Amino acid sequence: MEKEKNIELKNISKTFNIGFKKNDGALAKLVAFVSGRESKKKLEVLKDISFHAYPGQIIGVIGRNGSGKSTLLRIIAGIYEPDGGELKTSGSVNYLSSFNHGLSPKLTMEENIYLMGAMMGLSQNDVKSKFNEIVEFAGLKDFVYTKVYQFSSGMAVRLAFSATIHCLNYSKPDILLLDEVFGAGGDIDFEEKAIQKMAEFIKGGSTVILASHNLKTVENYCNTAFYLNNGGIAKTGLPREVIDEYRKSM
Amino acid sequence: MDFKKNIKKLALLIKEFKDILRLAFSLAKANFKLRNEGSYLGFLWYLLEPLCFFGIILLIGGVIGQHPINYYPLYLFLGLIMFNFFTNSTSIALKSIMANGNLIKSMKISLESLVMSSVFQFVFSHILEMCIFFAFMIYFKASLWLIIFYVPIFFLFLMFVLGVGFMLATVAVYISDLSNIWSVFCRLLWFLTPIFYSMPANSLFHRISYMNPMFHFINISREIIIYGRVPGFSTLLLMVFFSILIFGLGIFIFKKYKLKFAEMV
Repeated sequence: MEKEKNIELKNISKTFNIGFKKNDGALAKLVAFVSGRESKKKLEVLKDISFHAYPGQIIGVIGRNGSGKSTLLRIIAGIYEPDGGELKTSGSVNYLSSFNHGLSPKLTMEENIYLMGAMMGLSQNDVKSKFNEIVEFAGLKDFVYTKVYQFSSGMAVRLAFSATIHCLNYSKPDILLLDEVFGAGGDIDFEEKAIQKMAEFIKGGSTVILASHNLKTVENYCNTAFYLNNGGIAKTGLPREVIDEYRKSM
Repeated sequence: MDFKKNIKKLALLIKEFKDILRLAFSLAKANFKLRNEGSYLGFLWYLLEPLCFFGIILLIGGVIGQHPINYYPLYLFLGLIMFNFFTNSTSIALKSIMANGNLIKSMKISLESLVMSSVFQFVFSHILEMCIFFAFMIYFKASLWLIIFYVPIFFLFLMFVLGVGFMLATVAVYISDLSNIWSVFCRLLWFLTPIFYSMPANSLFHRISYMNPMFHFINISREIIIYGRVPGFSTLLLMVFFSILIFGLGIFIFKKYKLKFAEMV
């Protein structure tokens, strides 16, 4: 049975203007100083990227820092606009690059859970139905009415991870883009639990694109992978082969 | 078939709109709670702040001279809280995209909600202020039922403020000086709008005021709620048209540029 593609990229490219120091004359330097504007140069981050994905596929993206992994995911998510090329996605898309994005330190844990739920697109009632599960999983039952700034960093991580993953589980996005997010970074007990939960969720049928430096994760969970180098796809294929290629190039 | 497709499209649009609104309310609620979090008087500040300011102006006005304006305290307070709503929400909306750069980049979140939430949090405090206003109306024995007309007027006012907020938020991403410019502009507007004085007969001033939308919103509210006078039909129609225009324009500009925001902040 031919499944319908739900992500399709054709010749996507993206260029950023970044600050840069030039050898200018005195006048140009003065103007730049007064206006506070730095001179810019163009940085081509992605060049002619084309690929597609089907529902249920888990795709790993590896590559060095600055190779365009995040940019690619953000373009698919619709956070950045590509400069050229065609992008088609169908269904709901969610992008995550960290877990503690939405935590408000001066609000209580309860208020934070509702706020994060709202940011993930859940209604108050949806969050209510998941509330106990979130608290239970985070193991923070005694701190529901404590303000988050009084949490230890480990506790904050647990809260953020638990709230995010349960909200994701509820909204079940068709396309999930994970940017260096796998596991939570808590203590060993929680980390194991978190990774298990994450793996469970990833295999739930959404299309997942996972950008990671953790090659082991890519090897264990992905069914295809590609290696981004200098803004282009240097190699696609089975995770094993792609990782080998990546290692060789280092 | 085509008809069905259109219905489906419309349903999707309504759902999207509902989601944006829901998130905006949640964010506004959190911001509202955070605004006076940790202070001793906490919640009371939402009432105390406008009241103190009102007291100051009333006192200074009393020293300077007698006011020929009927129901002057009501006149002053209504103008004051409407103007405050405008300056507070626009200046926060202006920064709403700039200040949330990290959030915008780290997850997919509706940008409209960020702008709207900064306006909505002041809607909550405005409602509280309107309660004080109502208490004043009781004290000064004004006709109380007229206050229901504030609901449609405020709705139009809100659309106008949202429109301005969307425009400011967009421009501020490109020009960060805008927040300084806007705060100066708001101070200027505060003196140009007849809030603590009545409209002088000076013709130049008259002309400026007619160009000032804040004057019209405040004036119409005062005329209807405090004095029970109905403004002309054409004035009302113009106000409806103007509010919708600014709102539409704001949304249009915002939508046009919003995909660029993530790289700029």
